[in-house]
Amino acid sequence: MNTIKAVFDYTFREHVRHKVWLSAALFGLVLLAGGLVASVLAQDERARMMLDLGLAANELIALVMVVFLTVHLILQEIESRAVFLILTHPVRRWHYLLGRFLGTLAAVGLGMAAMGLVHWSLLKLLGWGGDGSYLLAWACSLGKTAVMGSLALLLSLALTSEAAAMSFSVFFWILGHFSGEIRFVAEKSGNSFLRAALLAFSRAAPDFAHFNYRDAWHAGVPGPAWIAAAALYAFGYSAACFALSAQVFEQKEF
Amino acid sequence: MRAPLVCAALGFALAVGVQPALRRGLREPPPLSELPATPFSLQDIALASAGLRAAAADLAWIQLLQYMANSLPEMKDARPYEHVKTLSLRVARLDPSFHRAYLYGASILAFFPEANRPDEAVEILQEGLSRDPGEPLYGVYIAALAYKRRGDADRMIALLEPTLGDPRSPIEMKAIVANLYKARGEYEKALALWNGILDSELEAREWPRARVQVAEIKALMKARRAAPKRQ
Repeated sequence: MNTIKAVFDYTFREHVRHKVWLSAALFGLVLLAGGLVASVLAQDERARMMLDLGLAANELIALVMVVFLTVHLILQEIESRAVFLILTHPVRRWHYLLGRFLGTLAAVGLGMAAMGLVHWSLLKLLGWGGDGSYLLAWACSLGKTAVMGSLALLLSLALTSEAAAMSFSVFFWILGHFSGEIRFVAEKSGNSFLRAALLAFSRAAPDFAHFNYRDAWHAGVPGPAWIAAAALYAFGYSAACFALSAQVFEQKEF
Repeated sequence: MRAPLVCAALGFALAVGVQPALRRGLREPPPLSELPATPFSLQDIALASAGLRAAAADLAWIQLLQYMANSLPEMKDARPYEHVKTLSLRVARLDPSFHRAYLYGASILAFFPEANRPDEAVEILQEGLSRDPGEPLYGVYIAALAYKRRGDADRMIALLEPTLGDPRSPIEMKAIVANLYKARGEYEKALALWNGILDSELEAREWPRARVQVAEIKALMKARRAAPKRQ
């Protein structure tokens, strides 16, 4: 446990001092301010637009941060041979990986929290009368970020190419938002084999379309069963991807 | 060595197991194939595929407002308000809970004398009723439209009047009812509605029209007051 915490601490500090993290957080704040100007065009729906654009900007910046940081997380340490130094100590490989992953997630979460706080304040300045469901939308974005982070980690270790891992991460992000469409195509398909294959594929790919409370915000707050399911989904999918990453990392020969 | 694989299997099983509950809990948006074909289809699909459906609906809403202000060069009209239905449904199918898109499109098509396409308005409102249940104004507008078709303006106004103070009601509806009052010679009521629009920062886009109307109505009221004196 101590080794996980030690790795977590140094990873968190490393990321928060990283130029990429700082510029992404700064860019997010600029986007939020830009949203304030652009939302004037929506007239009666200004608060709605400001809310949607702010939550979207927060999530997209978090996606860029988590994919970029996670893909470099282990590969750079392998390349610089720093990983040899760490693993000569009594550190289990999966402890090291978990500390690195959680530290990255915490750093990205901190950036998201800062952007969320600024966004919330801007909305309040506009007279927005929202409630605690903002926190739920933010938490869902964090859940998506955790899933993407674990997926990017798995891809970076399995593919060992930063460019390929980033491309596939973006591919899975888009695919995840098409889960409803994939099921729609499957239901329309007359071929039972194709239908089963598409349904299996839509289940195996991350289901972001139904995790996207941000996009369904205006339809009302979902019940506690959905919130519990969303939390379990994010945990289950991230844990599965992380476990596979640990398996790949264990098998690597240094 | 097998422990990570077992953990991965358990994690995936948990994720797949809760997926049905995840799907049931949120209202599912219509598939992208149901989006009306417009010059902006690529924009809609690109944003939706990045998980930005609500933001795509907001942009579509701005484009609908631009179209109404004749500032959308991509969509030219062969007849007045030709694309209102398409553009309103585009917003609503990107985000089915966008109440104002249904109400705005329907109020223009149903009650603007130059548009006068009540069938299209009813189609929009019916889609609202099925895809965005729980919004009472759709039913009120459909009922008001039925009275309009029967030529029963009194009942139509009586139905619409209480909705004007509702923040979800489009500003255009205030203007429509004010014009109805004006046409019926109820200048005080019309003036009160236009003055209400002029007092509201949120209704700034109707201010130029409101100023013209206030001046016209005041002139009409003055003429009416002067008329008996001349006799």
